[in-house]
Parts: sequence; structure tokens; C-alpha cells
Amino acid sequence: MNIRPPKKAISFLRWFCREDYIDEIEGDLIEIFEKESLISPRKAKLKFFLSILRCFRPAFLKLFKPSHSTNTTDMFRHNFMISLRSFKRNKSSFTINVLGLSTGLACSLLIYLWVMDEMNVDHFNEKDDQLFEVLANSSNASGTHTGNGTQGPLATAMSHELPEVEHGVTVVPFNWFGNKGAISFGDVHLKAKPQFISKDYFNAFTCKIVQGDASNPLPDMNSLMISTDLAQKLFHTTDNIIGKIVQWKHDEHSGDYHITGVFETLPSNATSSFDLLFNFDEFSNKRKGMLGWLDSDPNTYLILKKGVDVAEFNNKIKHFVQLKDSKVESTLMVQKFSERYLHGNYENGVAIGGRIFYVNLLSIIGFFILAIACINFMNLTTARATRRIKEVGVKKTVGASRAQLITQYFSESTIISFVSLIIAIGIVVLVLPSFNVITGKNLFIPMNANLAIILGSILFVTSLLAGGYPAIYLSSFNPATVLKGKLQTSFGELFARQGLVIFQFTISVILIVAVWIVYEQMEFIQGKNLGYKKDNIIILEMEGTPVEKLQSFHNELKRTPGVISAGSFYHNLSGMHGSIELDWDGKTPDQHTDFANLEVGYDFIETMNIEFKEGHSFTQTEKSKNEIILNEAAIKFMSLKDPLGKTIRFWGHERQIVGITKDFNFESLHEEVKPCFFQVYPAMYNYVVKIEGGRERETVARLEKLHGAFSSGYPFEYKFLDENYQALYASEQRVSVLSRYFAGIAVMISCLGLFALAAFTAEKRIKEIGIRKILGSSEIGIIYLLSSDFTKIVFISILIALPISYIMTKYWLDTFAFRIPLEWYYFVGAGASALIIAWVTIGGNTIKAARVNPVTCLKIE
Amino acid sequence: MKQQTLGEFEELVLLTVAALHNDAYGVVILEKLEDRTKKKINVSAIHVALKRLEDKGFVKSRFGGITTDRGGRRKKFYSMTAFGKRMLDSQYELRASLYKEIPKISFG
Repeated sequence: MNIRPPKKAISFLRWFCREDYIDEIEGDLIEIFEKESLISPRKAKLKFFLSILRCFRPAFLKLFKPSHSTNTTDMFRHNFMISLRSFKRNKSSFTINVLGLSTGLACSLLIYLWVMDEMNVDHFNEKDDQLFEVLANSSNASGTHTGNGTQGPLATAMSHELPEVEHGVTVVPFNWFGNKGAISFGDVHLKAKPQFISKDYFNAFTCKIVQGDASNPLPDMNSLMISTDLAQKLFHTTDNIIGKIVQWKHDEHSGDYHITGVFETLPSNATSSFDLLFNFDEFSNKRKGMLGWLDSDPNTYLILKKGVDVAEFNNKIKHFVQLKDSKVESTLMVQKFSERYLHGNYENGVAIGGRIFYVNLLSIIGFFILAIACINFMNLTTARATRRIKEVGVKKTVGASRAQLITQYFSESTIISFVSLIIAIGIVVLVLPSFNVITGKNLFIPMNANLAIILGSILFVTSLLAGGYPAIYLSSFNPATVLKGKLQTSFGELFARQGLVIFQFTISVILIVAVWIVYEQMEFIQGKNLGYKKDNIIILEMEGTPVEKLQSFHNELKRTPGVISAGSFYHNLSGMHGSIELDWDGKTPDQHTDFANLEVGYDFIETMNIEFKEGHSFTQTEKSKNEIILNEAAIKFMSLKDPLGKTIRFWGHERQIVGITKDFNFESLHEEVKPCFFQVYPAMYNYVVKIEGGRERETVARLEKLHGAFSSGYPFEYKFLDENYQALYASEQRVSVLSRYFAGIAVMISCLGLFALAAFTAEKRIKEIGIRKILGSSEIGIIYLLSSDFTKIVFISILIALPISYIMTKYWLDTFAFRIPLEWYYFVGAGASALIIAWVTIGGNTIKAARVNPVTCLKIE
Repeated sequence: MKQQTLGEFEELVLLTVAALHNDAYGVVILEKLEDRTKKKINVSAIHVALKRLEDKGFVKSRFGGITTDRGGRRKKFYSMTAFGKRMLDSQYELRASLYKEIPKISFG
């Protein structure tokens, strides 16, 4: 009876030992064991164990088994060489691939830079996660309005009474002051943007204090902090300026201030761009309303403790102000400060997006452009598969595995992507300055690890997208059939290739429609009859001029050659204006809304060319302070019959209606015209000046002289009303221009692919064409034959694209109160232009193929 | 190609493989070597040496037929290649030539 060798030891051996060695090793060990166990089974067993342990060495382990391809570098060199050769052989498709991919990559890189910049706006604060802005929802008949104007004492009350709040800050932001103030030191006068802040500002916002007492930088009402940039302009240095006295001129805050601190100018991706920081106590000292709960002008920011549930907190503070003063109707909520930039639109007190729409839109366009470029690569490579099919067959026959072939084709697509990426980076560097002009940003290519990672992953994704399908497709051939010379183009393959072209053209058509409609809408807004004229009107600010002198300035202004008329105003027509409740006889309790309050001087309505429906403008006498002018919308809202001469009450005044203007747009065209009224004050600091067209330069020079005579100590600055107005639509304008360029590029890249495909098809069918011609086919017939396939594809894409583009553009237009109707011709036009572009693209090749001489094409074999 | 080397133990194993001609496999080699050197040798040392010789191209191997002995594992037979023979020859010549140069006088 034989003694069996220990099983455990054997299974251990089998576990670690390489399969190709196990026969020999296990066999030999067992043979030795069998021999020795005849003498001493115990010793034999022991020795068996020991021997197996001694076999446990790297050379015998499965783990260290060298892979078959010990020639990685050789294979890499081989693949590289093969790729280069195939590029050399197919120069045209290589050029088209690189051209398409590099343009696509450049576009997506630019879009990436833009999107990243948008996403980073206001994210520079260290406590970004905890920094929230308090918003107030006020409801009236026309819906809920959400704004960031909150009560002066709110921040302090919240930080004292709510345990969740770490710090509360009150800020009166720079853009609250419609007209900026001016700072003077010696002979230097500069305009500057002020912001009033409460004590905890620096605990909430990241704003580096370069000089001054960091713990209490604004110790009293006359202290002032200045940005490094402004300090540089004012003092030509930022050193040793603490304690200097400067003059500040801005309404009731004018006076001498001493500099107690210098802060670093905020980064360009901050939405607030103030130059000066004042103590909020100074603001509330001059405006006592700030200390009560009925005025709501400042903004309130909170640093919430870590881990506070925002939804719960919102519930808790909803009626916070009502507890303080039951007369206040607005409810409160908080939103993350850094989210406000991209998600700043509200509907019924809920954030419904905003700029994020454009960010998403451009990201999608960027992705599609890249996808279209990748599809070109896929289509060209698979279409040309016949050329390389023999190579695949031979390689497979001599033993190349599928994985090796896939690697080969991947390395080819990686090389192309890499070359394209290098070119794309070059393009981006060249184009970036102009791109910055269009976007109004200051983008640059950041040289950091992050970018390297992004570029690396873009390279990877592109080569995967572009090379994945060809690699799998080309490596799948059966060598036997391939080498026999038969390549059945499968239905699925053809389907895939046509599907990809359909995808490209669908995107292109959608982009054409979208860009066209965006363009038309922007034109419509720019050219819309606003109800007033905005051409050749200049806005001037006359701060610092004593009130009694304003009247004579106004007279001088009207006498200046080149000036047609001039009027003064406090509230301008494209943004900032106050709102108040009006009272009138016969008002019902549910007629409850805010009327826009436009405080203007004499001649303003005339200068702006606002037309009257009934009545007349303000009489230029003492009587005018009892007069009021309303717009049509207001009359309609109040449902007044025979409104002229009726009495309106507000602020404890009584005023008679003397005129009714036609509706005009005093806000963004995103909104309907709201009820508004004019009241007149004889002296105002801001002027609108209508000047003669064609003499702008001389007139502006005269105005500057006049300005100097009346308003010494203030720099002369003027703006055209047009610019002011355009700023309202800046984001739409920019995205409109950007998307126009990118859509053009997307269409171009699709056509590039179609061009190459058409050229290839014509080449492949050249013998067929020759035979057809010999048999009597006409050139037209051949052209029809070659283009009908492509026409069908483009037609299908149009059919798919139109409904999608209709839904998308409708959604976008719905955000405007005044919009163009969606006419049928946008869609038909876009479809037709896609078809024509496609025909033009394939036309050259098709005609060339159709005119071929059968003799030349048939004799080569 | 770089100069192949042959360690002392490897040389012994190679010689044994050559001597056993076509019947050389792990256990036989082990027994013959133990018999000649009068030393205990572990079979795994032989295996390692054989693998190295095979990698260097001095021996080639083939599997024997299927058996029911040895736990059903086949034997792996080794035989010397021509290259292995040349290596042994040159090794032998080197030693012989050096040996011849030893002056006879010094050792009486």
C-alpha cells in the first residue's frame, strides 16, 4: 500500500506554482516522496514539505510569470511607424482629422476656460461654504418679487438672537449708489465706488487688509479704507498712507475722512468691485431710517455655523422681521452668496436659474463640437477600413491578438489627438485675446497641475471617443474572409456610419436655428421702439455743484451749440429707481402694487422723446410741485376714467395728474412695462443731453469745458445712453455672439467630415461610374446617384432637428416679455441652408467624379 | 547578444543532462548528482538550474507521455542543445588550456 503525499502541501504548491512548471515540479516531488517513504514515511513527509517551501521562489510563482509581450517598446515603435505610414498614405483624411479635431478641441478648451471662470465667480471667499445672503420676498398683485434689500438692524439682530449665525454683516453695496462719488487728495480727483460695511465684514468676506488694524479697521465714522489700486492712483504708493486725510464728495456723506486701512483690490472674479470701504454707522447716521425696520436698503450677509441645515434655517427666519415690526410684509430666506451669480433669477421666491442657463448652453455646445470632430475621425477611419483590411488579416494570421490590434488603432487615434491637442493649444493662445474682448473677461491659460490633468483627460476621452469604435470594428474581421478579398459591408456598420452623420447634422441644424433666433431676438430688443429715443443722448453727472447753481448750468447747457435739449433726472430709465404705493380716490383694497417712482427735472420727458397720450408735461413754474404724470400702464392698473386733473396721494402729498405718457420701457425687456409715475424737482444732479448727430466730438468737448466751470473738483465723465442700455443685455449679447461663432465652427466641422466621406465614396465607386457612363448614363444621372444618399441623410437630420430646436428656442424666448414670434421660416430656412451647405460640400467631389473619363478610370487595375 | 555565463552548479547540471542523454529529468538528475558529488541536494535547486539553462538556450525540454505514476504528472525531459555543447566545449578548453600552463616543478 502506497502512502499518499500530504494533500495540503500539494494544494499549496498548486496554488502558487506556475501552470507550465507544475507537471515537472509536482511529479518530481511525488516521485522522490514515493521512493523515500519506503524507508521512512515520516522523514519523507517532512522533506516533501520542506521541498515545497523551497519551491516558493519568484521564478516559480504565478505572480511573476512574465507576460508574453516582453517587447512592449518594440510594439510601440511598430505601431507608431505604421500610424505614420498610414497618415502619409492618406494625407487628405489625416489633414481633415487633425483640422477638425484641433478646431473642436480649441473650441472646447475656450469654452472650458469660460465656464470655469463663470463657475468661480464669487467663490474666492474662504468661508464660501458658510457665507449666505439674506433675501426678502415681497408679494403683491403681480407676483412675488425677490430681492436682496433688507433692513439695517437685521444682521445684528440675527447674529444676537439666532444660535446658527456666527456673524452677521450689513453692507450697502457700491451699485446702490447710482452715481459714484469722488475722492480728492491735493489736486488729484478721482471717481470711486464706495461701499458701506458693518463691523464683522472681514470675518465674513475674504478681503486682505494690507495695512491698518486688522481687528478693527474702521474705528469711527470718519474712517475710510482704500483699495491698493485706488491708493496707487491717488498717492502713487500704498505705503505710509494711514492717517492721511482725503476729501470725499458724495451727497450727504461728503466731508473729510482719514484713511485707517488699505485692502487688496478684489480679484476680477468678484461681482462687487468697490474701491472704498466706509463705516456703516456713518451711513445710518445720515439716514436714520436705516435704524428702523421699515426701510430695506442694505444687504445682509450671514456666516452660518458649520452643519446648519439651510432649509430648516429658512423656515425659522421666514417671519423674523414680522416679529420685530408687524407692518413689514416681506418674508426672508437665505441663499449661498456664491450661488447668487449663476442662480440669480427667482419665481415665487424660489431660485430658478439665471446665468447658469448660458453656462450649461455653452458647455453643451462645447461637448457637441468635440463629439462632431470625433465622429469625423470615426467615420473616416471605418470608411477607409477596406484599405487596411489586408493588414488586419495578415496580422491576425501571424498571431496578433485582438487586444494588440485594438492597441494599435488606439495608438493611432491617440497620436492624432495629441497632434491636434498641441495645435489646439496654439490656436487657443492666438485666439484668447479676441475671445476676451467678446466675453468681456480676462481669461488666460492657467499653468498648473489642474490644467495638465484636464488636458490629459481631454486627450484620453477624445482618443477613446474617436478611436474606440474604429479599433473594435477593424479588429473584429475574420482573417480568412478578409484575405480572400471579400468584405461584406454589414448593414449595421452602414447604419452606424449614417447614424453618426445624421447626429452631426442634427446638431448643426439645431445650432443654426438657435443662433438665428437668438440673433433675431437680440436685434428685436436693440431696435424695439422703447417708447423713448436713446440715440445721441449723453448722460452727465454734475456732483458737487451747489443746488442754486444747477439752474444756471441747465440754462448754459441748453445754450451750448450742438445741444438740442437737456433735462435732469435722479432715476434713470434703465435700472435703478424706487417704488412706492400710491393712493387715489376710488382705490379698492386689492389694487395693491408698487409704482415705479421716477424723479426727474424739467425737460427730461421732452429730451427723452417720451410721447404723451393725454395732457401735457410739467409746467415750468412753482405749480409743478403739485403735478404728477403717470404712464398708461398705471392708469390701466388704477382703472381711472378721465384721469386728468384727478388727485394722487403719497408721502402725505397731494398731486394732480397733468399728463399721461404712452408706455415706454424703463426696465429690461425681460419684463412687462410696469406702472410708473414722474414727479418733478427743479434741480437734479444727473443730466440727459440730446446732441446733434455727427458733431458729437465738438459738443462733448464743449460740455467738458462747461462741466469744469460748474463742477470743479470732479472729473468729467459721460456715457451714451445706448451703452447704458446695452449693458442691460450684456450677458445675452455675449452669449449670442459666442454661440454664433461656435455654431459656425460646428457646422464647418460637420461639413469637413461630409466632404471627406463624399470624396471617399466617389473614389470607391469610380469604376461603377465608369461602367455606368459607358452604358450611357448622363452626368446629371451620376450626380443624382452620388448625392441622393447624402441628401437622404441630411433630410432625416433636419426632420429630427426641427422639433428639438422648436422646443429649445421656445423655452428660451419665454424668458423675455417682449419676444419675436417663432415663424415657420426660421425652421425651413435652417433646414434649407443645411441642405444647401451639404450639397455645396459634396458638390465638388461629385461633379468631379461624374465628369471622369471612363477610359482613365477603367484601365487601372 | 550578450555573453552567456555558466555557473558552477549549472555546469554540473548541464553535464549531467548531457551524460544522461535523452533520459534526463528532475529526479534522475538529482540522484546522479547526489551519487557523484556525495552531497545532499534539494530537488528545487535542480529545477531552478534547469529553468535557467533553458532560458539561456543550453538545454531544451519536452514532456514525457502521460502516466499514472507520480500523481498523474508527466515527466519533463531535458536534452542538451548544440549551443549548450559549444558552451561546455569552450568552458572545458578554457580550463584545459589554463591547466596546461601550470608549471610542473612547483608541485613536485
